[in-house]
Amino acid sequence: MLEGFGPILRKDLRLEVRTGESTVVLVSISVLILVVMVLAFGPAGARRAEVAAGALWTALIFAGTMGATRALLSERESGCLRGLLLSPVEPATIYAAKLSVAMIFMAQAGIAVLVVLVLFFNLDFGGALLRLLPVFLLGIVGLAALCTLLATVSGRVRAGAMLLPVMVVPLFAPALIAGSKASAAVLAGQPLGAVITWLKLLGAFDVLFVTAGYLLFEHVIFED
Amino acid sequence: MKNPISIGLAAATCLSMVAALFMVFVYVPTEAEQGIVQRIFYFHLPCAWVAFLGFGIVALAGGLYLWLGHKVWDDLSYAAAELGMLFCTLVLVTGSIWAKPIWGVWWTWDSRLTTTFILWLLYGSYLLLRAFADDTDGIARFAAVLGIVGVLDIPIIIISVRLWRTIHPAVLLTRQGEHGLQDLRMVATLLVSLAAFTIMFVWLLWMRVATLRLRTRIVRLRRTLALRELAEAHR
Repeated sequence: MLEGFGPILRKDLRLEVRTGESTVVLVSISVLILVVMVLAFGPAGARRAEVAAGALWTALIFAGTMGATRALLSERESGCLRGLLLSPVEPATIYAAKLSVAMIFMAQAGIAVLVVLVLFFNLDFGGALLRLLPVFLLGIVGLAALCTLLATVSGRVRAGAMLLPVMVVPLFAPALIAGSKASAAVLAGQPLGAVITWLKLLGAFDVLFVTAGYLLFEHVIFED
Repeated sequence: MKNPISIGLAAATCLSMVAALFMVFVYVPTEAEQGIVQRIFYFHLPCAWVAFLGFGIVALAGGLYLWLGHKVWDDLSYAAAELGMLFCTLVLVTGSIWAKPIWGVWWTWDSRLTTTFILWLLYGSYLLLRAFADDTDGIARFAAVLGIVGVLDIPIIIISVRLWRTIHPAVLLTRQGEHGLQDLRMVATLLVSLAAFTIMFVWLLWMRVATLRLRTRIVRLRRTLALRELAEAHR
């Protein structure tokens, strides 16, 4: 069922290793967003964990929409999409591959953000960061699922790439609430058990949107 | 538009709206604690109901469009989104008018307010997409997918925002299972108002779909005409 998944993923990653475009852009954008947040809110104070969590998720959302756009636009730019659609690969498989690529891009940006976050907010590198990992991973799965499905609009509509965040942010709002609340609690030193409700919500969001994307992708990926 | 269904819907809208207005302003007793401003509720809740109904139709018609591929489903979905946006805006506006004297603020990040606001943003992004795009088959399919995904999102939005915070009054059922509306006349007014808004929504939807159908026809006719002219010029 997932025939063709490996080659697409390998091709995108090889392209990225050779050019490094997406990594450089995404990492710098997300770190810059973090800098903006720190400058605007100040690093210290009682609400340190909340500001840090908010900065993390703001950076992730914008890195996510850009990463997913890159993953799909590279196909459209050089006319690869036609070949991909003509090949006996299911659209759902293309979705799965692109979702994985987008997730890897987001994870890269996210890790860069986390490192800078620790430095800027004087968090400790130990347990809190480790406990943040499940929240972070559950968050980027849902975000990547949503962005990959909707990023197909860019290149087809005027200002499509700009329209993507406009569509993604309201849809992602529930996961954003859950993710930033859970991250803030974890960064403030609470155990994972305290945020289990938020984790469940993130999990439900992921399952829903990965399934929806997997089923609906064939309707949005085609050559005009 | 001179179609018996359209005329019937228009007449039913007028009659039920007049009845609803009469009941809201004359018949129903003033609520003891909140006073006169509570009457806006008989418009507020029906607006919310049709806004949700609109959302449901966007997704349903979008699904039917993906399945059957007939343009009429796309038109229905577009029309429902436009009306949904209108009524969602009215929900936020009437809610604010009510909230100022009762809560002391125009806006607060209560769970239902936040949910409605996120829905409003969803409608907004859907309509922006349609406004930016050319009227092609591709964008219709994309819009259908966006509508479906948006509706799938609603339960999660509701749950997440409820966990986030809530102070909205329990109008229909409180946690103890009591009615927020004590007087039977209030319930009757609400029901008539709900019916009036629903009929009005159907009527507006009907007219809007008819307009969109006409637009599709004009586009097609123009295209045929252009092709014919081109063919004649070549001859």
